[in-house]
Amino acid sequence: MGKIAEIEGIIFKIKRFSVHDGPGIRTSVFLKGCPLNCIWCHSPEGISSDIVIWHDQSLCIACGECVNACPEKALELANEPQPHVRINRKSCIRNGDCVKICPTGALQFAGSKTSVTDVVDEIIKDILYYETSGGGVTLTGGEPLNQPYFSKEILKECKKRNIHTAIESCLFTEKETILAIMDFVDLFIVDIKIFDGQQHIRYTGKSNRIIKDNLQFLAETGKSLIVRVPVIPGITDTVENKNDCEKFVHNLNKHIPIEYLNYNPLTENNYKRLDIPFLIN
Amino acid sequence: MISDIQNPEPTSRILSLKNKTLSPVRYLSLEQAKIITRIYQENEHLPVNLKRAKALAASLSEMPITIDPEELIVGNRTPDSRAGVVFPEAGINWLLKEIDTLPDRPQDRFNVRQEDAIYFRENIEPFWRGKTLEDDIYNLFGEEISEIGKVVKINQTDHAQGHICPNVEDWLKYGPAGLLKTARERLKSASDIRKTFYESVCITLEASCRFIQRYSLLASDIAKNHDDISIRKNLREIAAVCKNLSVKPPESFREALQSVWFLFVILHMESNGSSFSPGRMDQYAYPFYENDIKSGTIDRNIAIELLDALFIKFNQIVYMRNANSAKYFAGFPIGFNVTVGGQKKNGQDATNELSYLILKTQDHIRLPQPNLTARLHKKSPPEFISECSRVIGLGNGMPQIVNDESIIPALKNAGIHTDDCTDYALVGCVELSTQGNYLGWSDAAMFNLVKVLELTLNDGICLLTGRQIGPRTGTLSSYNDFADLEKAYGTQVDYFTEKMIKACEAVENCHQAHLPSPFLSSVVDDCISNGKDVTAGGAKYNMAGIQAIQVANIADSLAVLRKLVFEDKFIMKETLLDALRTNFEGKETLRQSCIHKVPKFGNDVAWVDELGSKWITYFADRLRLYKNFRGGVYHMGLYTVSAHVPMGQNVGATPDGRLAGTPLADGGMSPMFGRDKHGPTAVLNSVSRIPSHLASNGTLLNMKFLPSFFKDPRDREKFTSLLKSFVCLPVNHVQFNVVTAQELLNAKADPETHRGLTIRVAGYTAYFTELAGDLQDEIIKRTTHGENS
Repeated sequence: MGKIAEIEGIIFKIKRFSVHDGPGIRTSVFLKGCPLNCIWCHSPEGISSDIVIWHDQSLCIACGECVNACPEKALELANEPQPHVRINRKSCIRNGDCVKICPTGALQFAGSKTSVTDVVDEIIKDILYYETSGGGVTLTGGEPLNQPYFSKEILKECKKRNIHTAIESCLFTEKETILAIMDFVDLFIVDIKIFDGQQHIRYTGKSNRIIKDNLQFLAETGKSLIVRVPVIPGITDTVENKNDCEKFVHNLNKHIPIEYLNYNPLTENNYKRLDIPFLIN
Repeated sequence: MISDIQNPEPTSRILSLKNKTLSPVRYLSLEQAKIITRIYQENEHLPVNLKRAKALAASLSEMPITIDPEELIVGNRTPDSRAGVVFPEAGINWLLKEIDTLPDRPQDRFNVRQEDAIYFRENIEPFWRGKTLEDDIYNLFGEEISEIGKVVKINQTDHAQGHICPNVEDWLKYGPAGLLKTARERLKSASDIRKTFYESVCITLEASCRFIQRYSLLASDIAKNHDDISIRKNLREIAAVCKNLSVKPPESFREALQSVWFLFVILHMESNGSSFSPGRMDQYAYPFYENDIKSGTIDRNIAIELLDALFIKFNQIVYMRNANSAKYFAGFPIGFNVTVGGQKKNGQDATNELSYLILKTQDHIRLPQPNLTARLHKKSPPEFISECSRVIGLGNGMPQIVNDESIIPALKNAGIHTDDCTDYALVGCVELSTQGNYLGWSDAAMFNLVKVLELTLNDGICLLTGRQIGPRTGTLSSYNDFADLEKAYGTQVDYFTEKMIKACEAVENCHQAHLPSPFLSSVVDDCISNGKDVTAGGAKYNMAGIQAIQVANIADSLAVLRKLVFEDKFIMKETLLDALRTNFEGKETLRQSCIHKVPKFGNDVAWVDELGSKWITYFADRLRLYKNFRGGVYHMGLYTVSAHVPMGQNVGATPDGRLAGTPLADGGMSPMFGRDKHGPTAVLNSVSRIPSHLASNGTLLNMKFLPSFFKDPRDREKFTSLLKSFVCLPVNHVQFNVVTAQELLNAKADPETHRGLTIRVAGYTAYFTELAGDLQDEIIKRTTHGENS
């Protein structure tokens, strides 16, 4: 097992009893880093590969322990509208003294370096539930293919244990990356967001040419596929976009299911916790 | 099988009966107390079991009875539905103090008619003063019981023992007339010491036959005055059914259900014990159902209507407790526990068509009673599990789910024969029992292990009162390491265990002297063949159950002590002790560290869970060192019903960051509310580390799911899978509330429009708006699963 332990990746969450990311009861592993930058992203902490500090105002009791602990004096206690902690992101060197001292868990690293072994240990805790429900593991993010070796090793270890594997991806990656992991993936869950190329660039920062090519490639391999379209009011939920997406997928293979994902109204809180602006309202 | 059972709406008759059951205001009822008092006055010279038998016989003959012409199943112990019956021989000191506050107390109110209050004070109470079970216990052992009161709650001190599953199968096979015949034969050849026992049994069985006959006569009478043909027809049917039952065993499905109900009415007239439970109704009623269906006498719709009618009846008997007891057992749960599913003696699946019909009935009625339990095992049909999921999703917390794979070995471990283990049922809330031969004494006492930990940290001195109540084993500051602390904890546990056992013995001794129960003894094996009353140890199995309270708070507190105090020295011993003594006042930062810096029970963290497991095992093993007063074993339960609220009031601040006087974790096996962060699978895995096989008295795990989770059939299927996984784990019990926190908040703020909202409190369901505010708050705070976050 020594070899696996050497491979590390960055994850920002492991969610057990995940019931909307593939069949059955699943464990979803959220990997950090994403090539796209969708303005509606519901996990903004997963976009960057950097491990930043996350501050959950609702847990903070404004005790001030972190202010005293920070060697860079990057934190301060503000009193308006009610007492709370403010982070100066520019001076923060993320040494974590504040996280260590914070008594409530309001301050945390939004992500951590984790070994494959540790991830797999967490996954296998729910093997019983995967077996009874036809569930398994789903790698999601961020973008799991952004950390291809790490993802591949996790998937490989899961397949050794006969665990059903799914990967949720935007497919903005090299074809070789897909080829390299394909044998260890039972189900691809692919987001196609916006069909129109220009609009795609506008809202995600990248062209969708590669995505469409990769999706076509995957469909031709006969791999199990689910396509997901996030429903973002005023952006992706137009009749035109839905029709285009459906037509495209249908032409690839009429048996590929399409799921529409409702927009999560709690998303904005995640932006507040990172002190980054949220552009959707 | 399930697919071809239709699910028609309840009939208008059933809806009307349901409404009538719910609407009347509850009153205190003194009628039976007057009869009992008169019989005791007239027969002071007689042995107590004859007095008890005559009192029951007179009640069965004299209590006014009523029949609603719409009823299919008739019978009640009082003319008013849901009356609070006074049983003076068990104890009425509480009522003397509380009779004026009954209508306005915070929990479980009863109206009191002015003339009844006066009669009670002038005629009933003076006669019984100093003569009741409660008086005797108080005089003989009151001081010892109150001395340990902060740690141990001794139960059964002012009411008769309930929580019994009578032998319904034999009751249906022989009827009271058949049982009477056997008892009379025994009486003929009995030795002198057994004679009064058999005499008392005969008196009650004769009176039972007459009681049933009275309903036949009354139905005929009312029929004469009714013009409506269908009502007249129904009343004549009632008359015929009751006439048959008064002389012979039931033959039809309707007669069988009516007979079951009479059994439970009479048991509740003999004693004010709570939770006489019908047990495995789908098993013993099935032959009657099958016969009638085959002969074409009834169809499924008629069968469901009869079951509906019976289910409504289970709500017409409620239990009036004293104010303190009502806090522990809120919502007057009387606990008619009906069990469906499970396996046969040969290990094969026992589910039959009636199991499904009873689930449909639950769907129809959705009242707090009966308490419905589904037994699952590895060979349960998937469609049965799926139907359980559907009914759970309706939201009134039933059926609760129990696990044969875990419970049968637990019962074997407690010394029960295999055949009896496989035939187990639940009584009351979650208590385990074999059927028809078991006096479980399942709520002998509750042992507050969290309070004992408090005393261990503070040299035996109560943090709330400053009184020395435990031995002086040292303070947290004086312990050199965690092992030192654990050693002292063991000493404290042993000290209170010893004292508790003595108190339990005293209580049982007094029960034998005051509350022999001849009628009950006629339906519990082997009382008749032994010639011994059930209180004197006549049953085949004589258990006594002690509840260990509360695993989550023990694991969480010990984890903080071990990790933050002794290992990491993140918190100084003195600092923590000082914070506990001052209820964390001005030390919120420290308290938050206690909550967040160490993992908590319920998050699938092995070392934390194992701390709980270690002490639960220790306690169960200590109990095994003693024999109970009837010669059987003491065994452990892990459930609190709603006692986690008042039990918490007895405990000062704890190292897990819990403030003084606030509730402990709910249920018995549940994590501390709000501290389980990793979903239901992590909770189940944590709970599976606690030794359920030692908890043969029963366990309780609460889980709360969002209603939205049950809307989508695919999600519901995942819930069904969760139940299938549960069966593979060594966990005895789980039950589900399906409700949003917002809905509960709304109901609390506006009770009038939420009267019908039922909630799973502990091992039972109650109306949410009828619960006291602190209990409502605690239920709102429990973690909810199924969110899409």
